[in-house]
Amino acid sequence: MGSRSKVFVLSTITALVVVLSGCSGNAPSTAPVTAPPVTAAPVGTAPGTAAPTVTVAPVGTAPGTTAPSTEPLKIGVLAICGGPFATYQLEAFLGAKFALLNLAGGTSAGQGPEDGVLNATIAGRPVQLYWGCSDATPDAAVAQARLLVEQQHVDILLGPESGDEGVAIANYAKTQPGVTFINGTSGAQITTLQVQAPNFFRFGGDGAQWMAGVGTYAYKVLGWKKMSILAEDYSYPYTLAAGVIAEFCSEGGQVTQRTYVPLSTADWSSYVAQIPSDVDGTLLLTGGTNTTNVLAAYKQLGGDPSKKMLGGSSVMDPTSFVTGDSLVGMAGGSPVPQGSTDATWTAWVNAIQNVYPSVPAQSLFTVIYYNGMQAIIEAMTKVNGDLSNNHAAFNQALSSLTPTFPNGKITLDANRNANIPAYVTQFVKDASGNLSFNVLKTVSEVDETFGGLFSATSPAPGRDQPVCQAGTPPPWAANF
Amino acid sequence: MADSDRVEVPPAPEAAAISPHVDSSVVASHRTRRNLGPMIWAALIVFGAGWIAIQVLRNGLGTSGNVPQFIIITLGSVSLAALFFLAAVGLTLIFGLMRVVNMAHGSLYLLGGYCAWALTTKMGVDWWLAALIAMLSVGVLGLVMEQAFLRWNLGQDLRQALITIAISVILADQMLANFGAMPSVLPTPTALAQPFQLGLYNLSYSSFRLFVIGMALAIGLLLWLWIQRTRFGMVIRAGIDDRAMASALGVNVQVVFAIAFFAGSCLAALSGVLGGTMLSLAPGQDVAFLTSSIVVVIIGGMGSLGGAALGAALLAFVETYSGVYLPQNLAPYSMVVTFLLVAAVLAVRPQGLFARAER
Repeated sequence: MGSRSKVFVLSTITALVVVLSGCSGNAPSTAPVTAPPVTAAPVGTAPGTAAPTVTVAPVGTAPGTTAPSTEPLKIGVLAICGGPFATYQLEAFLGAKFALLNLAGGTSAGQGPEDGVLNATIAGRPVQLYWGCSDATPDAAVAQARLLVEQQHVDILLGPESGDEGVAIANYAKTQPGVTFINGTSGAQITTLQVQAPNFFRFGGDGAQWMAGVGTYAYKVLGWKKMSILAEDYSYPYTLAAGVIAEFCSEGGQVTQRTYVPLSTADWSSYVAQIPSDVDGTLLLTGGTNTTNVLAAYKQLGGDPSKKMLGGSSVMDPTSFVTGDSLVGMAGGSPVPQGSTDATWTAWVNAIQNVYPSVPAQSLFTVIYYNGMQAIIEAMTKVNGDLSNNHAAFNQALSSLTPTFPNGKITLDANRNANIPAYVTQFVKDASGNLSFNVLKTVSEVDETFGGLFSATSPAPGRDQPVCQAGTPPPWAANF
Repeated sequence: MADSDRVEVPPAPEAAAISPHVDSSVVASHRTRRNLGPMIWAALIVFGAGWIAIQVLRNGLGTSGNVPQFIIITLGSVSLAALFFLAAVGLTLIFGLMRVVNMAHGSLYLLGGYCAWALTTKMGVDWWLAALIAMLSVGVLGLVMEQAFLRWNLGQDLRQALITIAISVILADQMLANFGAMPSVLPTPTALAQPFQLGLYNLSYSSFRLFVIGMALAIGLLLWLWIQRTRFGMVIRAGIDDRAMASALGVNVQVVFAIAFFAGSCLAALSGVLGGTMLSLAPGQDVAFLTSSIVVVIIGGMGSLGGAALGAALLAFVETYSGVYLPQNLAPYSMVVTFLLVAAVLAVRPQGLFARAER
């Protein structure tokens, strides 16, 4: 065989292999999966019905003056995807979709993250979903948002997922008054506390709020007086740390070392070796592979994570289970009541696991994207699908919403950021010997200012901010 | 007056055009310019070492000082260097011998790790056996890859780069589909699970990481013996120096390439198994280790074993020490220091520190 025909044969075989491997697993299932009815549905609409009943008169509009539109409602969902972010993509997209299955009569078109939802309607308007994928950088997030808003003409954008992206998207929102932006899980504080875009809503709270209670838990329950911080170097860990530092220091604790490590570092053992021996414990603010690497190195150096470490919200996540039994006993902060036996919570967890077995249900990314979509559904229902006047009625409805989410009831503050419940959770072993969670403490009604410790003019959380100083502890500290 | 017979011809073209008589001061300045690179290097190393020494010895030599921490950090750097060396040595052989930029090298690293992970956690195979099986099977895969995709287009660098990039994307995606997106860790073999007592300052260190250092030394030595002391190694060296001439002299170049690719892929897989036990395995690690392997090859020079060792050591030490010992306000720029290292090497000696001059 001449070399040219060899090349041709090889290329054909390769092309076939590529096509076959690419095609498998992506075909939507032919039998659409229907969502099982959830008895403890946390919304005022009956699940499974196509046209939810309006229970509250829309604020500011006389009912009946605008004929309800039947035009498609375009919702864009923006998350971080691909490679190392594949789990986050799964959690965000499936969480958002489950809200449409549960509360808008949709049926699932498949198990994959970007498989659509069929037959979902909100206030009589059929829902069209558009997916946006970024990579945790603000540039990519804004580029995707532009694509969805300016080319696909979505009415509502749900996202982004990552801290730095949120700030950029909130600023972009100011330039697009005709679109409503609902935050995904991006947790940087300044996104709402400083940027204050009038059409940007955050129903999940910021990272500092997620860690409410951890500082007091360390000071009063664990008896720590000095703490060090080991974190990844970007805005989300800064905000997580800010919540703990403000609370811990206000009661008299001291933060003696803050180590922020570039995200792409493969080997964390040298940073772990740097943890001072005279601190009572360390606050660990990492995610994904970095958590595993730190805890492995920490164990190798003889440390005990259950006594001398507290975890951030990305540490207190099912993705950390791979580290193994040394986690048992380690506590940390989370916006979702992982391991709670509350009826609403467990019903929701079981319902989503039934429909999407592959998604980690007790992860904050799944829950908070679900919540965002639930808020969209509730507010749209209130205004009967009316998006006229640059979404005036819809945005007003969102601002006054007091939804009950699977993780608790929330209200919005003047910057359209949620006052949320936060939870101090702990790694435990369940009855079958697998790693699971337990709720140690519920902290109710955490506001973004932490009872006055933060304000719109406070320096943004960063490598040196906030400064550790004594002050008035936040209101919930008295409950410990 | 300078004797034109004894004076070196200066490299500056204008001097040669003028006359063979050269002023000794000009000669001296040219010699200084040629030595400038190594002089700057030496100055930087001395400065860096001095700075670190001050930080470490600041609080004295006792247990409450910084010396115990320094020892742990240094052992961490050496074990990381060992891992980088094992990951990069296959690439430097392939690169030096075949001039193929194997962009799928990182994927082979990750695939080796995942294979061993699947064998140990899902099938209960012993770690040592799993490592051997993973190494050999990924080696065979690398060989198949070379025979099918890289043999017929030797010399076409762009084409080979594109083909190997495509293979790396396919492999990465399939690994994501099969092994999931959450990080995985290989269980440490029981023989190495207990920490090793160092005998100094009451310190103990991970036995496995010490084993990785030993492994890198052993494999480095074996490779050196193979390349420097065997006939086949001589053929490899000849191929690295001048492939066309070696072929013209009757060497079966294709067989040499196949064996080199197999060996390189085996080493990539082995480093994946070690990295998966020492650190972790996750999507994205393939790109991370491909990048560090390329950096090691750039620093050390293509085809050079000693270069790979030195490059790996430099990369690991610079990365680790800059993260820890830079002054607080410069700490976020520790990543920049790593790339300054690469830039410095490229500026001073672009072919790599130990590379043989291209003919």
